[in-house]
Amino acid sequence: MTIENVLLVSAALFAIGAYGVVSRRSLITVIMSLELMFNGVVIAAVGFSRFTPAAALLSGDPITAEAIRSALTGHVFAIFVTSVAAGEAALAFALVFAMYRATESVEITDASEMKN
Amino acid sequence: MMEVSSLTTIAFWATSALILGLALIVVTQRDVFRAAIALAGSFFGVGILYFILSAEFVGVVQILVYVGAISVLMAFAVMFIQDIASGSRPSQGRLVGAAVAVLIFAALAFTAYNTNWSSMDEITDPVAVAALTEGYTERTIDGEIQILGQGVAPDAGFDIENDGVFVDSTSALGVSLIREYMLAFEIIGLLLVASLIGGLLLIRDRSPETESEAAEAETGGASV
Repeated sequence: MTIENVLLVSAALFAIGAYGVVSRRSLITVIMSLELMFNGVVIAAVGFSRFTPAAALLSGDPITAEAIRSALTGHVFAIFVTSVAAGEAALAFALVFAMYRATESVEITDASEMKN
Repeated sequence: MMEVSSLTTIAFWATSALILGLALIVVTQRDVFRAAIALAGSFFGVGILYFILSAEFVGVVQILVYVGAISVLMAFAVMFIQDIASGSRPSQGRLVGAAVAVLIFAALAFTAYNTNWSSMDEITDPVAVAALTEGYTERTIDGEIQILGQGVAPDAGFDIENDGVFVDSTSALGVSLIREYMLAFEIIGLLLVASLIGGLLLIRDRSPETESEAAEAETGGASV
């Protein structure tokens, strides 16, 4: 298990999600694929945090508490991306419901008219 | 420092295979409900992967937010929308999509393997190594916080002893969130409230009967 392996898994998950976004017609499956892509990105952030050193620890300056905590920047990034993804999923499903009520369909090809 | 045992490596590859296999089911399965179940499994696998990468708190957040909340939201969406029986049909852009996905994957994998990433072994400062893997002591001397390595004489009352940040990442992460990332942390709360209100506004039923009912309910409440 090295940083390359983690990035490989992250890239594979991102690519599978990208395939799902363009190849599916149902809006629900498209949103699921978007969430897969989010997960791929977060895996990369956590992997970098685990396997690559924080710049502040390499500089040779005296170690400060902030420098030590900066080793966890990837984790902070992961938490923020997860929160944004949660808010985005709630809004996306509200949109899907609104569209279903307006057009009786959740297919992307029917979504070209979003009036009312 | 921070060697990876072969057992961890086996667990890593097994979890990765689980994640990617379930993700493939999500994007190829026609039955949307089965896709939602596979998605929950994939999210759970990612949570396990975070534990393997010694990010325990992120792993717990992943399982709580993704498996507990987002997957349930998706299951509700699938059950609410009735014409789901027709399934999720593939669109015409299938081959193009597959080609683009393979290209994205190839580019990212090429970059990952052809970049000379710096490694944890480049950290030479023994205090920094101990702070990451074993522990460190914060001592306030003349109003300034100094970091001391392991094995210093304890000075009760002035010392704060911490575990290494990769041993106990949760407490270091908590401190980090309310010091360095305080503003972003507050803004995320604001964003979540905004998306909550936005979601409610979007699914509000605007038909005339419900509007008048709502108005009646309001005036009734005011008279009481």
